[in-house]
Amino acid sequence: MCLLLALCFYNTLSSQEKYTISGTVSEKKSNETLIGVNIIFPEIQSGTTTNEYGFYSITLPRGSYRVIVSYLGFNSISETITLSQDMTRNFSLTNALENLDEVIIVENIEKPNIKAPQMSVNKLTSNTIKDIPVVLGESDIIKAITLLPGVTTTGEGASGFNVRGGAADQNLILLDEATIYNSSHLFGFFSVFNPDAIKDLRLFKGGIPARYGGRVSSVLDIYQKEGNSREFHANGGIGLVSSRLLVEGPLEKDKGSFLFGGRSSYAHLFLPLFDINNIAYFYDLNTKLSYKLNDRNNIYLSGYFGRDVFSIQDSFENTYGNSVLNFRWNHLFSDKIFSNLSFIYSDYYYSLKLDFVEFDWVSGIQNFNLKYDFKHYISNKLKLQYGLNSIYYKFNPGEINPTVPTSGINPFKLTDKYAFENALYLDVEHKLSEKLALSYGLRLSSFHRLGQDELNIYENDEAVIFNEDFQIYEKAEPIGTESFKRSDVIESFYNLEPRASLAYQLNTNSSVKLSYNRMSQYLHLLSNTQSPTPLDIWTPSGKYVKPQLLDQYAVGYFKNFSDNMYSLEVESFYKKIKNRIDYTDGADLIANNAIEQVILNGKARAYGLELLLRKNEGKLNGWLAYTLSKSEQRTPGRIPGELGINNGNWYKTPYDKTHDISVTGSYRWNNKWKANANFLYQTGQPATFPVAQYQYNGLNIPHYEGRNENRLPSYNRLDLALNYTPKPNKTKGWQSYWVFSIYNVYNRKNAASINFGRNSETNNNEATRLSIFGIVPSISYNFKL
Amino acid sequence: MKKILFIFCLSMFFMSSCEDVIDVDLKNTAPKLVIDASINWIKGTDGNTQKIRLSLTAPYFDNDIPPATGATVIVTDSNSNSYNFVEDGNSGIYQTENFIPLLNATYNLNINYKNEIYTSTTVLTPVAPIELVEQKNEGGFGGNETEIKAFYTDPANVKNFYLFEFVVLKNNNIALEVYEDKFTDGNQIFGFFSDENIETGDELVIRNSGITERAFNYLFILLQQTDENSGDPFETQPATLRGNCVNQTDPDNFPLGFFRASETDVFTYIIE
Repeated sequence: MCLLLALCFYNTLSSQEKYTISGTVSEKKSNETLIGVNIIFPEIQSGTTTNEYGFYSITLPRGSYRVIVSYLGFNSISETITLSQDMTRNFSLTNALENLDEVIIVENIEKPNIKAPQMSVNKLTSNTIKDIPVVLGESDIIKAITLLPGVTTTGEGASGFNVRGGAADQNLILLDEATIYNSSHLFGFFSVFNPDAIKDLRLFKGGIPARYGGRVSSVLDIYQKEGNSREFHANGGIGLVSSRLLVEGPLEKDKGSFLFGGRSSYAHLFLPLFDINNIAYFYDLNTKLSYKLNDRNNIYLSGYFGRDVFSIQDSFENTYGNSVLNFRWNHLFSDKIFSNLSFIYSDYYYSLKLDFVEFDWVSGIQNFNLKYDFKHYISNKLKLQYGLNSIYYKFNPGEINPTVPTSGINPFKLTDKYAFENALYLDVEHKLSEKLALSYGLRLSSFHRLGQDELNIYENDEAVIFNEDFQIYEKAEPIGTESFKRSDVIESFYNLEPRASLAYQLNTNSSVKLSYNRMSQYLHLLSNTQSPTPLDIWTPSGKYVKPQLLDQYAVGYFKNFSDNMYSLEVESFYKKIKNRIDYTDGADLIANNAIEQVILNGKARAYGLELLLRKNEGKLNGWLAYTLSKSEQRTPGRIPGELGINNGNWYKTPYDKTHDISVTGSYRWNNKWKANANFLYQTGQPATFPVAQYQYNGLNIPHYEGRNENRLPSYNRLDLALNYTPKPNKTKGWQSYWVFSIYNVYNRKNAASINFGRNSETNNNEATRLSIFGIVPSISYNFKL
Repeated sequence: MKKILFIFCLSMFFMSSCEDVIDVDLKNTAPKLVIDASINWIKGTDGNTQKIRLSLTAPYFDNDIPPATGATVIVTDSNSNSYNFVEDGNSGIYQTENFIPLLNATYNLNINYKNEIYTSTTVLTPVAPIELVEQKNEGGFGGNETEIKAFYTDPANVKNFYLFEFVVLKNNNIALEVYEDKFTDGNQIFGFFSDENIETGDELVIRNSGITERAFNYLFILLQQTDENSGDPFETQPATLRGNCVNQTDPDNFPLGFFRASETDVFTYIIE
């Protein structure tokens, strides 16, 4: 409150003869709004950028100014504006590619903004993502971000991604502000985001603003396109794995637009030709409707629906996926106050039918989310963002049903869980002087577990007991159960999450930045495998599971040089997480109605150094990313004499990669031909190898000691792609381009895992390497009209 | 899970994924005593002959598992009977001919090996008989496996745990499965086995043993960590597997293995 008063005071002091210029910036042909466009007033060294909805607002002293509006791949606008009263000014930018034979990229929005206090953020546009060569030619957002410093995965077939040594479930993934619970198709080979439907994305790795919360490691904020409100267009592609089609057009010219996108894999259609009865496919649908009610009000309806279907020999059938529906209302209270109200429904569904054991299994999570966000442009030195967020969750941890009447399985329903999460936040962006800019904020979050049936009660509230004789953890036997009304609050948590960053400009081209953020996470993905699987379920904090709490500190140096041709970002981070759940050895998490009996409370820490060198302009552009880091986890005994996990010692997380190097570049010969390349080198993933063998009950058993003390061999590969546009000057009608690519050019057998087992023929033990992708050539055809 | 992933890779892309045997340097630890003590009272027999096998851990790629010889192995029961298990030469196999099995009785194991005392306790756990066996050909994920279901009826309203052993006699291949009755209490249910290498006429010995909850938990992890599943990114992280035997002399030098006592039903099935 003090903060607000101080701000108001500040505001009154400085409000003398100042006027506000505001509006939206859009792409001329489609009227699609553009995110992150720079609006610069060079004479007074002032400027702003457009927000997620293309809106900007800046308040300046009365006067006549030159304004430059610039955005990657677009022709800049430069004009003079006389500001003698509040004014609305919308800008339309034309795509540079369409007018120029020789492409000169003027301004790259992906390069760091050295003045803004926000650090540890990476932006990628849909075009950059599409340029990156990928396996089987399927452009992929998640694969693209793993080329950035501080981002890695647990292997080629792994779901999700890991940011700064954090787990995959610690990433907040937002698609048009709706939470996505599982970002992978086909066990992680592809991500659920159709690149054609995506406008822009931002990945926050640190210094995360207070408007985001609920996950501790990162925020991946993805925006879908609105659709062309001027004319009808379609684009799509045919690849080896999937095909895409996206149509967009006006509902009412310049006012309303629609966008429908669909994508489906179809390789399974050919399988019967090879006499294979297995099916594996995925599809997703993206929709968006936008309507401009008037200059002050816009409404949006967006949706996503995706499914994976996987069946083997009729004996195994697996379906899972996300659905999201989101209604938003943008309202301008004044030219200084922009607001967005969102109602979001999202769910994750998982079903597994096992005919050979005669049962099926369904689990999922549903949530209803209300968000009200305000952006308040007080002056060119001060910007506020504040808002509130309420989420209601329903968790279905699983339900088992027999599939045939004679099945020996009894129907069984795991107890549903309910929760309510709330947050209030305030973010302040505050330019203190020409050189010093601050951003600080506070988020007050709360989490309430609501009443459920049959909550187990344990003696001394201890659900896990330590057996001192055998030095193992065992499940405690509940001494009773408690049932609650749905309106009861069983357990509540409140957390204050301060966030702060600072940028100090050393000179016109370089700056240093510092940041701190505390975040809390109330949901946990139960997963004790090396990488998450679609079957893993989310569980809320409650009596036996505490919220994860993170503190992260980061410091960075940012420099643009050679006339902004190059940029360099160097960052170092340290983070620690309290209440990271760990599992007792061999814990069975599936269909477990008493998950508290196998969970222990641990902590995690990670630290590292990241370097990103980009070439932003010219025929050759791209980046080099290097990360040196360590990511560890520890679960000590709760009382002296208790063993803990891994004897209570720190151990490497499965995503600890000491060195992680990626180089990605693209070279444009002319407007017909463009070449792209990636090279990756990573320290091998941590693994646990046996230290001995023994025989028990006729079986040969490997004996293990410390956890994750070994590593797989280092991972490296080179990918190449060639884009060919046969008729680059064609701007109307059918336009197309081809992508030829080769993944893993030198066919390295990168180990996805090393399995230790007994060869049944020789009766000797051996180590077997599983490598997923060797050299994979592919071709795809893309079109628009 | 790995199997699924693998088949998926193959069928989806006819792809370049592959498995190959590689050399890995492994750390070795000091040898530990391994106690393979399973008392099986086969239904319809007197159960007087029982064996306990003691061995040592060996470096992972060694071909031989050294026996633990020269130990004193004694089992006592709650009726103050004491059974001395005598070693057969230097084989590490210790045997008695006068064991008296009693359902739900408590048995204590006492081993003296190299002047260290190892102890354990278990309960002889009853089991439901195998009632019938069904065979289905062309099953499994690849469509080329023979599936066997061995049915039994779980006693209602009591927690039961089962160890199924499927032994293919021609090559002595053994497959273990453990089951609990959490979702099947009181029903007729089956133990499941599937193999692509068995043929008509092959003899399959199916053993169903009653085990304690502790044994179930132990075997559950043990099976997760053996052959096919170990090191797989979709399987749980491997860890030191502690059984129910304790080294009383030097607790840090804990033994591996397990002491269990089961009633066992044996069913010999000829593949059709």
